[in-house]
Amino acid sequence: MKRKQLTAAFMVLTMAAATMMGCAKDAQTSKTTTDGGKEIREYTAFFAVPGNEINDDNEIQQMIAEITGAKVKETWLTGQTAEEAVGTLIAGGEYPDFICGSDGTAQLYDAGALVALDDYLDDYPNIKNFFTEEEWDKLRQSDGHIYWIPQFNNSYGENIETTHNDEAFWIQTRVLKWAGYPKITTMDEYFDLIERYNEANPTMEDGTANIPYTILCDDWRYFCLENAPLFLDGYANDGSCIVDPKTEKVIDYNMTPTAKRYFQKLNEEFHKGIVDPESFTQIYDEYIAKLSTGRVLGMIDQWWNFAYTVNDALKQQGLEDQGCNYVPLPITIEKGVQNNWHTSGDTLNVGSGLSISVDCKDVEGALQFVNDLLSEEVIRLRHWGVKDVDYLVGDDGLFYRTDEMRMEAANTAYKASHLCTYSYFPTYTGMSQDGINACKPEIQPLEFLSGLPKNVQECLEAYGCKTYVDMIGTNPIPGPWYPIYSFVGTMTTATEGGTAWTKIGELKHEYLPKVVMATDFEEAWTEYQEVYNGCNPQSFLDEVQAEVDRRIEVSKQSAQ
Amino acid sequence: MSIAVSGKVKTKMPTDLKGKEKNRKITWKEVKKQKVLLFLSSLFVLYGIIFCYLPLVGWLMAFQNYKPKEGFFHSQFIGLSKFVQLFSDDLFIRVIRNTLAMGAINLVATFLTAIIFAILLNEIKSKKGKKVVQTISYLPHFLSWIIVTGILHDALSGTGIVNDLLVRFHLLKEPINFFAYPKYFWGIVAFANVWKETGWNAIIYLSAITGIDPSLYEAAAIDGAGRWGRIKHITLPGIKPTIIILLLMNIGNVLNAGFEVQYLLGNGLVKSVSQTIDIYVLKWGISQGDYSLGTAAGIFKSMVSIILIVVANQMAKRAGEERLF
Repeated sequence: MKRKQLTAAFMVLTMAAATMMGCAKDAQTSKTTTDGGKEIREYTAFFAVPGNEINDDNEIQQMIAEITGAKVKETWLTGQTAEEAVGTLIAGGEYPDFICGSDGTAQLYDAGALVALDDYLDDYPNIKNFFTEEEWDKLRQSDGHIYWIPQFNNSYGENIETTHNDEAFWIQTRVLKWAGYPKITTMDEYFDLIERYNEANPTMEDGTANIPYTILCDDWRYFCLENAPLFLDGYANDGSCIVDPKTEKVIDYNMTPTAKRYFQKLNEEFHKGIVDPESFTQIYDEYIAKLSTGRVLGMIDQWWNFAYTVNDALKQQGLEDQGCNYVPLPITIEKGVQNNWHTSGDTLNVGSGLSISVDCKDVEGALQFVNDLLSEEVIRLRHWGVKDVDYLVGDDGLFYRTDEMRMEAANTAYKASHLCTYSYFPTYTGMSQDGINACKPEIQPLEFLSGLPKNVQECLEAYGCKTYVDMIGTNPIPGPWYPIYSFVGTMTTATEGGTAWTKIGELKHEYLPKVVMATDFEEAWTEYQEVYNGCNPQSFLDEVQAEVDRRIEVSKQSAQ
Repeated sequence: MSIAVSGKVKTKMPTDLKGKEKNRKITWKEVKKQKVLLFLSSLFVLYGIIFCYLPLVGWLMAFQNYKPKEGFFHSQFIGLSKFVQLFSDDLFIRVIRNTLAMGAINLVATFLTAIIFAILLNEIKSKKGKKVVQTISYLPHFLSWIIVTGILHDALSGTGIVNDLLVRFHLLKEPINFFAYPKYFWGIVAFANVWKETGWNAIIYLSAITGIDPSLYEAAAIDGAGRWGRIKHITLPGIKPTIIILLLMNIGNVLNAGFEVQYLLGNGLVKSVSQTIDIYVLKWGISQGDYSLGTAAGIFKSMVSIILIVVANQMAKRAGEERLF
């Protein structure tokens, strides 16, 4: 009897201990050892943006680990919004070592999940030199500290722009070619061209029916539907509202006459069968699959949202020869309105960046890794790959790739097993430190040109353009507030304006598709207008105006 | 649910052991005699306390202006204002309606189909055929919702198989995009639930049917009862206790109308009918960092569930049927 009791008690204790052990956190950063006997520090990272995971035994990642003594296991957003993922992390209270909150960055800061970086910066020259003192100051939060490092749009040396990375009306080159490369500058001309082309060529070469125009409307990606009125009126991409560069006043683009005309046009095209009837119910994956078949003639989108996946798919399927690649057009609402789809120069998005979480056991080591990632050698590995395998060096020192190399770089399996860009860690763009080559193949002028699909080359030539950007022209950054979306992204329901903003977003998700599909447009528009005004949009605009004023003031002060 | 179960474990053992004398007091001697049993059962009680009751401390959040940085101890108390905010929000009222409606439709649909399916399956004479049908029918249970919604999305899209068939058989002139109209949404969700869970839910009824004394069927057959008569007078009364217990348990779950299905199948156009309380909590609580609001909505949901289960249980008691407690 006694023994049995003892056994029972012992078992209970073991179970309890096992449970406790399971809960205890690793006190140390995990480490592995390489073949060469070098110790590799391992970190975890979560980026609240969609991305592709690479294989654990990725070759370039291993090379970078040999150089830097560290590697990072990256995970990405899947099937939720950034705020949802970040909110769940905060509720759980456990964070990975590195984190990029994207639209949820403000929540992470509010929850005290991030490490203040400003005290460390001086020890890491590559990070320190990544921004100017003035730029670092822009990143200071309400408590005066710096918590994140924006990763993008930072040119080392000359800024080279070949692709229009942002939003535009895109059109397949086959449509333009068929029409003899006409000059298309207004929304009406754009839809008219698509209509005429589709009437003359209702199918692709293999008989698949064309989809003349599709709209992605999936969750946070519904910018493909909603913010065109801002661009149609010739303003730069401030995202959530217009900031008039002349008056420095915030304007709501949702209810402008242009907005009404744009949605009315979509409504007409919807009933003509030009707008894809599945537009408002398709999810992102379905949309990308559609574009990858080459069936879609045109759409509004951000280049980064479709091009990387879709262009590679078109290349692999040989659809480039059918003219299925997309080029941007300088569309505005009326002739004479100066388009502003592309802004030149580095746009510093102060709203989010790479952070280190309070759960990171080795902040110095983590920052050392970020620092090392910015060295010339590693940047080359990240973007160009391995010499003689992924690129060749000409006698003049210029890097170039063969067609096979370009094909490999577009191959999904190869990307996972070989390439490792650490794409959400800070990186340079523009010219690299050797002064001859660009940081990335896609902006190396010669490499860009020879890497372009034939149909795009032909199209650019016909318009007398050298790059995608030339198709729509370029404009300077409108003012020191730009882009104001970096502020709006941080708004939450904690303020009145933030609540209005969230409500408006919810409302537009529901009503904009309704308006486009409505049989009686006027009636649907009036209803939308009424509900819209019930959300108190003014409070949102006021808060944004205050931020615009603040940013202008800050820039005036630092100019003195 | 788990509350009810752990409560049961706690009290059941003494009642069973009491035997004939109902008012006998529990003496120390008896406690000593049964210490092993008590010790073992205390583990389950402990489990209930740790995993079902301790987390309730988190409910404090609903009465605070909770900030993760400040934690429970330093967040400011604001009383019931989060609840006031919740109930003055039209959206929340609509979300409750959606949750109740979809919960009820799902409950009725899955419940009826499972019973009917189990009875039909039981009538199959060929043992092999029965096994094959049963295995195939419960396979969807093991698919995750993301896969099921993916299949549905494909099948019901404008170019999907359903529209293809309907148009080819001239039942429709033009394909309908089923996900674009609010009127189809609840039906689609109910169908998804039925397809996924019928086979699985039928298992428990099938086993209950197996437990019915075969001599009853023989006797009924001799008395001239046909198939329908045997189902009506023997099978159904035989599984009635199972039906009622399961119904009671499911009623408590009505507000768990689902999260994944609606989240994955929903889109802007059907938003007004697709959002459930769980989605509301995610959208306005977790993703906006307003954890207090999310908790308040969660408390409301639990309260309604408890009320529903108690009421249903009382009704079963009145009707003299099996009940949970």
